[in-house]
Amino acid sequence: MERIFGIDLGTTNSLIAYSDGGTPRVIPDPDTGSPLLPSVVAFPSATEIVVGARAKALAATQPLTTIASVKRFMGLGMEHVTAADRAHYAFATGDGIVRFRIHGRDYTPPEISALILTELKHRAAAGCGEEVHKVVITVPAYFNDSQRQATRDAGRLAGFEVLRLVNEPTAASLAYGLDKRNQGFIAVYDLGGGTFDISILKLHEGIFEVLATNGDTRLGGDDIDRRIAELLLAEVPADLRGDPTVVSQATAAAEAAKIRLTDAHATALELHNGSVHVVCQLTRGEFDALIADIVERTLIPCRQALKDAGLAATDLDEVVLVGGSTRVPLVRRRVEEIFGRRPHTELDPEEVVALGAAVQAGVLSGGHRDMLLLDVVPLSLGIETMGGVMERIIERNTTIPTTVKQVFTTFVDNQTAVDFHVLQGERELAKDNRSLARFKLRGIEPQPAGLPRIEVTFMIDANGILNVTARDERTGREQSIDVKPSYGLDDEQIERMLEESIDHAEEDVSARLLIEARNDAEALLRAARKALTGSTIGADERAGIDAAIARLEAAMHATDYNRIRDLTDELNQVTTPLAQRIMDESIKQALEQKRVEEIA
Amino acid sequence: MGSTPASAAQRSGAVWPAGEPLSCWQCGADRASNLFCPRCAAIQPIPDGADYFQVLGVPRRLLQDRDALHQRFYELHRQWHPDRYQTGPQGARSASLRNTAAVNRAYSTLRDPVGRGEYWLTLQGETLGAKNNRVPPELAELVFEVQEKLDELRAARGGKSAADLQREVAEVHAELLRGQAALLEQLDENFRRWDAGAAEPATLKRELKTTLSALAYLRRLIHDVEKELEA
Repeated sequence: MERIFGIDLGTTNSLIAYSDGGTPRVIPDPDTGSPLLPSVVAFPSATEIVVGARAKALAATQPLTTIASVKRFMGLGMEHVTAADRAHYAFATGDGIVRFRIHGRDYTPPEISALILTELKHRAAAGCGEEVHKVVITVPAYFNDSQRQATRDAGRLAGFEVLRLVNEPTAASLAYGLDKRNQGFIAVYDLGGGTFDISILKLHEGIFEVLATNGDTRLGGDDIDRRIAELLLAEVPADLRGDPTVVSQATAAAEAAKIRLTDAHATALELHNGSVHVVCQLTRGEFDALIADIVERTLIPCRQALKDAGLAATDLDEVVLVGGSTRVPLVRRRVEEIFGRRPHTELDPEEVVALGAAVQAGVLSGGHRDMLLLDVVPLSLGIETMGGVMERIIERNTTIPTTVKQVFTTFVDNQTAVDFHVLQGERELAKDNRSLARFKLRGIEPQPAGLPRIEVTFMIDANGILNVTARDERTGREQSIDVKPSYGLDDEQIERMLEESIDHAEEDVSARLLIEARNDAEALLRAARKALTGSTIGADERAGIDAAIARLEAAMHATDYNRIRDLTDELNQVTTPLAQRIMDESIKQALEQKRVEEIA
Repeated sequence: MGSTPASAAQRSGAVWPAGEPLSCWQCGADRASNLFCPRCAAIQPIPDGADYFQVLGVPRRLLQDRDALHQRFYELHRQWHPDRYQTGPQGARSASLRNTAAVNRAYSTLRDPVGRGEYWLTLQGETLGAKNNRVPPELAELVFEVQEKLDELRAARGGKSAADLQREVAEVHAELLRGQAALLEQLDENFRRWDAGAAEPATLKRELKTTLSALAYLRRLIHDVEKELEA
C-alpha cells in the first residue's frame, strides 16, 4: 500500500515523518541533516520563492517580503489582524480572509503554508526516495473549524490528499504511548511557537481517549520573543522602533537570547543596524519576571481542562511536555507546580508531534491495530437564533465524530430559501463567538409558512471539521445547500489557486531555465574574451569568434533560453581550437618549467 | 475487515425497528440486522430508528453500570472507528462514520443518569420542556439563600467583606452539591422501580419528571455559583 506520511506544520518549524515498520522516523534535510524546516517563506523578488532556513536568514534584511509564523493567521479574517501584526507583515486592504501583499500579489495563509508543505514534500522525496501523496497533518487541538479547513486547504494546494487532521497534543501522546504501555490519566501541555494546547487523556489498553482539551491559538514562543525584543527596542531611537528591519533584527536577537537562557543564567542582547548599536543585559531572573504573565496565561486553560475532564491534578498519572517553548525553565517549573509532578521530557519536544503524526499515519494504513485515538471537538458549535443569541447544538469536548439533527422551517408563506449562521465558541451572544459560515437552504417548495420541514444534519467528522447536509423530511429528498465560509476559501477558489499554481509552476521552470542558460553563457563569454586578448590568432578565426560572441550577446537580452543555449553551443564550438591551443601552450610551459626545475 | 460479525444487536437480543429489508451495500446479500455482512464481512450502517440502547447493544434499562457502558463504548469503537476504514471503499467509510457518531451520542447520553432519564422520557413520548425554570419546592429555601448570597458577593466584590462572603458562598455551594446527591439517589430509586417492572408507570413518569426538573435546575444554579466563585 502507498505510504502515508505524517506532517507537523508548526508555527516556527515544520517536520515530515513516516512509519518505518512501526517505528516513526523524522526525515531530515538531506543537506544539513536538520529535522526541522523553519516555517518561513521569503519572496526575494517577484519570481523567486525561498522556503526554510534561507528564508529565515532573509527576514532580517527583507522583513516585509518574508512571512514567518503564517500559522497564526490560518482561518482568520482581516478584522483579526492587530496593530502589532502590521509591524511585521504587509497586508492587502479590504476584509474577508487574511491576505499578505507581496510584490503586488496577494497571498492567503493557506497558499503560504502550501509552499512550506511543498518543501517538505521535496525533502521526503530526496530523503527516502518516495513520492508523497497521502498525508496526516497535525493541528493545534484548540484550532476551530476555519483554522482546520485552512490547514486542509493548504494540503490540497500542495497536491496532497489529506487523510486526517490530528490534534498535536494527541499525536504527541501517541508517540509517548508507543514505548510505554501505560494506563491512566495523562495531561499533555503543548506550548509551541504560536499556539498553546492542553489536553487531558485517558489511556486504556491502547485506546487514547481525549477527555477534555483547551488552549489559546494565539499564544506561544513568539509572544516571549516579542516581549524580550521590546527591551531592546526601548533602547533604540524612537523613530527607528517601528522600522520593520530593526523590529525583525530585535526579534531574532530576542529568540537567540531566550534559547541561551535555557542553560545560561545571564546573557547579552545586541542590535546593530546602520548607526544604531544597542546592547542589553538580561538575567534569568529578569527573564522570568518579564514573561511570568505569559506563562500564567497558559495555566487558566489547564485548570479549565481538568475541570471539564472531571479530574483533579492529583488524579493525573503523567504529564508530558510538547513544543519548543517548554524548554523555557519557568514554563517547566510552573507546569510542575500546577500538576504536582515532574513532567516527561524524554522525547524531543520539537519532534514528538511529527513522530505521533507518523504513528497515526501507520494506524490509518492498517498498522498498530491495537492503538486507537478518540478525540473531541475543542469548542462548542451553535447556530445564531433570533436576537443574536447562540444556541449550542454540539457542546465542547464531545467525542468525534458526532452528529446532531435540527429541523428548519419557513416564516412566511411561499418562502423558498432559509438562511442560518453557524458559530463556534463558548459565549452566549453570537457576536462574541467566531463565525464559521453562513448557509442557505435553497429550492424549498412554496408552501404556507411553517409547513416545510427541512432536516439539517451537522456532522463533525474525525478531523474536527463540520459537514452540513440537509433533506426534506416529507419527500426524503436531499435539499440543496449553499455554504459561504466566513474566513475561508470555497472550493471554487481552491480550484482556481490550484490551476494558477500549475501555470506558475511552468513559469517558474521557464524562469529557472533562462537564468541557468544566461549564467552558462556569461561564463563562456568571459573565458572567450580572455582567451582572445592573450593569444596569437588568425584573422579569419578571430572574425568567426567575434561574430559568435556578438550573436550570443544579443540573444542574452531576450528571454528565449533555447536560443541562448544554441548560441552558447556555437560559441563553444568555434572557440574549441583556440582553447585547445591555449591548453597545449600551458602544458608545454608547465613541462618546460619542470625541466628547468629538474636541471636545477 | 476482521472477524467480528456478531453485531451489537444480536448480542443484546435487541429488536431493530422493522422496516425495509436490509441488504449489504457491498455484496447485496440479505444481512438482516447484522452490522457486519454475514457474506462479505463489510461494515453496515446502523438503521435510522435504532434507539441508544440498541446502538450500544446494552439492555434497555434505566440502571446502567458505568464501567460496563464505558467498556462497551471502547469495544464498539475498536470495531467501527473511521481510522479503521480510512483507506477502504466509500460505503465502508460512511457506515463507519455514521455508526461511531451514533455510538458517541448514545454513550454520552446514557452514561449520565440525568441524560439517561431525560432520554427515557422521550422514549415514553414525553419531554421535560426546554425551559425548565420552576424552582423545585423542596429546594426553595436553599435556592433563595444562594441567590441572596450571590447578589451580595457581586456587590461586595473588591470590598473588605468579599473574602468572608466568598467563604459563605463556598458553603452554600457544598450544600447544593449535597442536595444534588440526594436527588440523584431519588433518581436511582425511580430507575430501580421502572426496571423492576412496577405496575404504576404514570406515577413513575410523574416522579421521574419532577426529579429531573429539580436536577436540571440545580445543575444550572451550581454552574452559576461556580462561575461566581472562580471570578
